[in-house]
Amino acid sequence: MASEPLTARRRGGSEIVAQALERWNALSGSARFFILLAAAATVPLLISNDYVIRIAGNVCLFATLAVALNVVVGYAGLLDLGFIAFYGIGAYTYAILSSDQFGIHWPSWASLIFIGLIGLVFGLLLGSPSLRLLGDYLAIVTLGFGLVFAQLALTLDRVELPWREGTVNITGGTNGIVKLDPLNFFGFQLSNVTHYFYALLIWLAIVLIIVHRLNQSRIGRAWRSMGEDALAAESMGMPTRRLKLLAFSCGSAIAGITGGIFAAWQQSVFPQNFSTDVLITLYAMMVLGGISNLGGAVLGACVLAIAPELLRSPELSRLIFYSALGLGLLLLMKPRRNGLIVLVSVIGLGVLLRLIVQAAAPDLLSPPTIRVAAASVSTALDRFSQQFGIYVQSWILVLKEPLLPGNIAFVVMIPALLALSRMKPGRLKFGLTIPAIYLLIFVWETRLAAEPAVTRLLLIGGLLVILMIFRPNGLLGRRKVEIV
Amino acid sequence: MPLLEFSNVSKHFGGLQVINNFSFHVDQGEIVSIIGPNGAGKTTVFNLITGIYTPDKGDIRFEGKSLLGLEPHQICARGIARTFQLLRLFLNMSVRENVMSAAYPRTHSNLAQIILRTPGFRREEDRIRAMAEEKLGFFGERLAGAFDQLVYSLPYANRRQVEIARAMATEPKLLLLDEPAAGMNPNETQEITQLIGELRTRGGYTILLIEHDMQVVGGISDRVIALDYGEKIAEGKYQEVATNEHVIEAYLGRRHKPFEPGSQGAGEQG
Repeated sequence: MASEPLTARRRGGSEIVAQALERWNALSGSARFFILLAAAATVPLLISNDYVIRIAGNVCLFATLAVALNVVVGYAGLLDLGFIAFYGIGAYTYAILSSDQFGIHWPSWASLIFIGLIGLVFGLLLGSPSLRLLGDYLAIVTLGFGLVFAQLALTLDRVELPWREGTVNITGGTNGIVKLDPLNFFGFQLSNVTHYFYALLIWLAIVLIIVHRLNQSRIGRAWRSMGEDALAAESMGMPTRRLKLLAFSCGSAIAGITGGIFAAWQQSVFPQNFSTDVLITLYAMMVLGGISNLGGAVLGACVLAIAPELLRSPELSRLIFYSALGLGLLLLMKPRRNGLIVLVSVIGLGVLLRLIVQAAAPDLLSPPTIRVAAASVSTALDRFSQQFGIYVQSWILVLKEPLLPGNIAFVVMIPALLALSRMKPGRLKFGLTIPAIYLLIFVWETRLAAEPAVTRLLLIGGLLVILMIFRPNGLLGRRKVEIV
Repeated sequence: MPLLEFSNVSKHFGGLQVINNFSFHVDQGEIVSIIGPNGAGKTTVFNLITGIYTPDKGDIRFEGKSLLGLEPHQICARGIARTFQLLRLFLNMSVRENVMSAAYPRTHSNLAQIILRTPGFRREEDRIRAMAEEKLGFFGERLAGAFDQLVYSLPYANRRQVEIARAMATEPKLLLLDEPAAGMNPNETQEITQLIGELRTRGGYTILLIEHDMQVVGGISDRVIALDYGEKIAEGKYQEVATNEHVIEAYLGRRHKPFEPGSQGAGEQG
């Protein structure tokens, strides 16, 4: 008993975090859900920046889609690559029902309910012929469906009808359909980004509740059983065909309504809003969060919808890169002090190289390229990251002609890092880590200077790879391996 | 009227005749075992009964009504449940959920009731939860306290019992057990033999069994049917079949030698 305060003091910070986590886990599921929902609802109250609220709305939008995708892919185990088409069908249906394209202006609630029904019908239409298909074959057929939708959206701007003169413009082709009516519920018109954020948040909450309740019922259990072993599920009395159709229809109805809300928010629809890129992003969100985990789908959507925005400015992405690198070194190297040694040595190596090059060939070096923007046009975080960039550039080798050395270093770096990761732990590995990390930083800086956009994407890709290595089943995923 | 009747059934895959003019029946309350060497067609018999395969010829009748043309889930709803030779559990679901999932054909809540969580849905959910615990309770200590564990974390012998509990949850009249003792040690084998007996006495199930382990077969079967190359070569009490010349020949070849019970290896593909 006497030693208790001592151990508590020694553990310090991590103890507090652990206690907080424990309390959080002790809460019931619905309590946690409503706390997080309330926290999300305060975003527009805390931040009045439209840009930030728009990102938050995007997160809700993608999270809803990822949750719907999770019903089809995560629970029912149907690899559906045509999912994005249902989202698009919903958006286009809203556009046709609420614009001057055909002069139709339905009330929003009627449009959204109609879109849900359309989603159900298309889910059944796509589902029925693909019932007998499994795994990869289903993926191919649904992918085809997605591509057909994209083509139709592009080409249905000149449709000839036998009973009419001339052509009819349905989808507007590449020009899309614009000037859509905003959502309007019984006299309350959603007119700004905050309104749409709340609409999307409420819709996400409704979808989460519906999907969660389905999951905790005979239907959800049957879906998951079918996803794990369709033959066993069928043998245990579950009508797998009907269940597949139901999963397809649920997913597509949710996706359709989400698409309708998206169209109203954007007040326009274009074919490229529903490209395969969006589909891949959705899959990445679901996998990153952990398949068949609803919280995971939402978390994955948060990470992947926010990360590209954070990395929009090169200075900010530089700050994130070095933070991730430094944190990674300090947290992952054991014992901890090794991380610090590596960090200090890398900086020392940088200073040394810089001094050598400055003495031997000063013409090669370029002065720092970054300037700190005036306080009136930038945020504190921007200015901090710019100042940070200047420090980095006065330490690393900033070359006048960075392209060739950068490319060479890039090509050397990949096998070097791979070889390093395969080496046995020991002094040699420890020693080689230092130049390897310096090389990584050098490549990052030269590539970032040459091609900021591509390098940003590389960083996202790299972060995803690292996350998936450490959490192979996604951030919140459960272990999916069998141990006999 | 027999509970299950298999009359003159044939089945071939390509040029291979897997089941050839095979007839047998199972009466209410019986334990019947099907034995036979590797590839004799035993598991095919189960797949034919449960509707995974359809026979080329012949008829399969359950309680007097033909099962031909029914989907596997409809056959399950009629009252036939099975286990699998190589276990086909839902590994990433909890033990309780595995058993509850099989109550699907006996539950009726629809989408609206589920989403609104109506009292009817809650009652039904409570009922099948209690049912799952009751079925799992049948297995005593082995599964007690593991109801919320994911199935992949269970040891092999316990998984077999979960699979039997899952089959029981469909409330069948006839249980088909495909090699319940495969891969088990002598203690576990003894345990499962006793359990199969209890399934009949306490659970009231009629049981059709595929088994390799002669201890299990001899210990509990009312009747034994020996199958070789898809044909019935012997039928009767265990002693009669085990000493039958054809059966010994099928298992051991043509040299006459006393048959050694329990000498067959486990894990065959029937």
